[in-house]
Amino acid sequence: MKPEKFSATALLFPSLLMALIVLGYPVYELLNTSAHSVNKFFNVGDFVAFQNYQSLFQDEFFRAALVRTVYWTVLVVGGTVLLSFPIAMILNEDFYGRSLARTIILLPWAVSLTIMAVVWRWALNGESGLLNLTLQSLGITHERIQWLAESSTSFPMAIMIGVLVSIPFTVTVLLGGLSSLPKDVYEAARVDGASGSIMFTHITMPMMRPFVSIAVVLNVIYVFNSFPILWVLTEGGPVNSTDVLVTYLYKATSAKFFGDPGKGAALGIIMLVLLMLFSLIYARIAKEGEDVRA
Amino acid sequence: MLKQVHSVPKTNVRKQNLMQSKSFKSVLFWLILSPIVILTLFPYAVMITTALKPATEIYSNPPTWFGTHLEWGNFSRVWEMGFGQNMLNSIWVTLAATFLALLVSFPAAYSLSRFNHSKRFSGFYRQFLLATQMLSPIIITVGIFKVVASLKMIDSFTPLILIYATFNIAFCTWMLQSYFNTIPGELEEAAWIDGCSRFQSFTHIFLPLALPATAIAALFSFIYCWNEFVLAFLVLRTPEHATITMRVFSLVGGRYTVEWELVMAAAVLATLPMVLMFVFLQRQIIRGLAMGSIK
Repeated sequence: MKPEKFSATALLFPSLLMALIVLGYPVYELLNTSAHSVNKFFNVGDFVAFQNYQSLFQDEFFRAALVRTVYWTVLVVGGTVLLSFPIAMILNEDFYGRSLARTIILLPWAVSLTIMAVVWRWALNGESGLLNLTLQSLGITHERIQWLAESSTSFPMAIMIGVLVSIPFTVTVLLGGLSSLPKDVYEAARVDGASGSIMFTHITMPMMRPFVSIAVVLNVIYVFNSFPILWVLTEGGPVNSTDVLVTYLYKATSAKFFGDPGKGAALGIIMLVLLMLFSLIYARIAKEGEDVRA
Repeated sequence: MLKQVHSVPKTNVRKQNLMQSKSFKSVLFWLILSPIVILTLFPYAVMITTALKPATEIYSNPPTWFGTHLEWGNFSRVWEMGFGQNMLNSIWVTLAATFLALLVSFPAAYSLSRFNHSKRFSGFYRQFLLATQMLSPIIITVGIFKVVASLKMIDSFTPLILIYATFNIAFCTWMLQSYFNTIPGELEEAAWIDGCSRFQSFTHIFLPLALPATAIAALFSFIYCWNEFVLAFLVLRTPEHATITMRVFSLVGGRYTVEWELVMAAAVLATLPMVLMFVFLQRQIIRGLAMGSIK
């Protein structure tokens, strides 16, 4: 090994080692636990192979949470990307008060999701909440709504909050993309008499593809794994009607709820597999898209 | 400028000028942005006005934005509940985890940016970093809990620091690497020709140029650690050991009667440090992220 090559690898080594130990060991324990029967005090019993997985799939709450997670992820990420694109386009233009607008829109990033959710929980309070007050004084609604009492209103609200808190990161990624687009291409197109909409569909969209990809992949991972919003708002209730996989996983594991760590571990593994599958499929699709253009 | 050959109707020209004037654009853009701006600012308004309400008027019916007077005492009451300690806990965990994350990410990013790795190896390393992003604390809850319990580290900061640092490696490395790529290698090569060792050229030339990006990477790590909830929720047990975010949640979670004016005062205290940093550094943040998000 050449000294050059040695130092190149040696410099990467600490980060690899740290991630492998700090995350690898818990993952090993997770796999191990998922294949054993475990009581609520985490005492590991007999080896049961796939029994924990089986009991999960027979559990109607799990199936409902799985479906709800798909809704949650698709709607939050979809809404976020759809809203973030025009916002990023605007923030990339030069106008009065641009840095103020940027600061306001990026602000939620600096605040913890948990605290955001705590504030919203209070704002959504049926009796004294300020959202009802605001909506009524604007004449949008006429009676007070008990937002968090039923999943039909609390889940959409959770999705809205999810979108709101995901916008800052997404706008920033897209803004980074937009500001890196070469100006001369647009100039050339303008000289050739291309209209604004043609430029958007033929230059901006294709060149932004990698940035949209990054935003989608990372957002899917973050939103799929997002625990605080739903936990703070409803704890997955009433009667598990707003559970997604993460809140259900916590309940399955915690002694305060179902107290079955084996099941919680199995669900963790299932979620990991789902995320890996998603990334693989997405990488394949993105690659095909590039091949088509190339 | 070429003279226009075909005549354009005058109104069109006027419309064009109007559309292109900065003032018109600004008004239009602010109008388009207004719903999202209002929705974004709404929770802050709720947080601040509630934090300043007297306790007796919290559940007023009908609800109001402001109480009969501004109750600044809510903040001192929260402080007396020991929130200073929770702030200190958060500061310690955040600084230690960020330092650790940068300690391993900086060399990794330098290596990726300055040495020729085989395509295969750098591809593997990138996949590996992405995989660390998928392992959120909640997914590996059971594994983390077992490991932390068997090491007798429940209610201690050590697992928090280690795990936060590890989750920040990916982002710090991505961001630093793309920034390092923009620092021209010729500068260092020139120094080698002048007889500097690789290490000398690194400390004298590369490091000063790399510091701004490192500061931004650190800021993102700060924000993540300061705000993280799930892991603190799993590992920390006593109010004295809670991080500030965790403590704010504990005033609400699983309770039937909530003293909202105190919760909101605590939320303001917990939020202020990061928001101030963010506002002061927003320009650098956007630039830093634009760097970090390139491929």
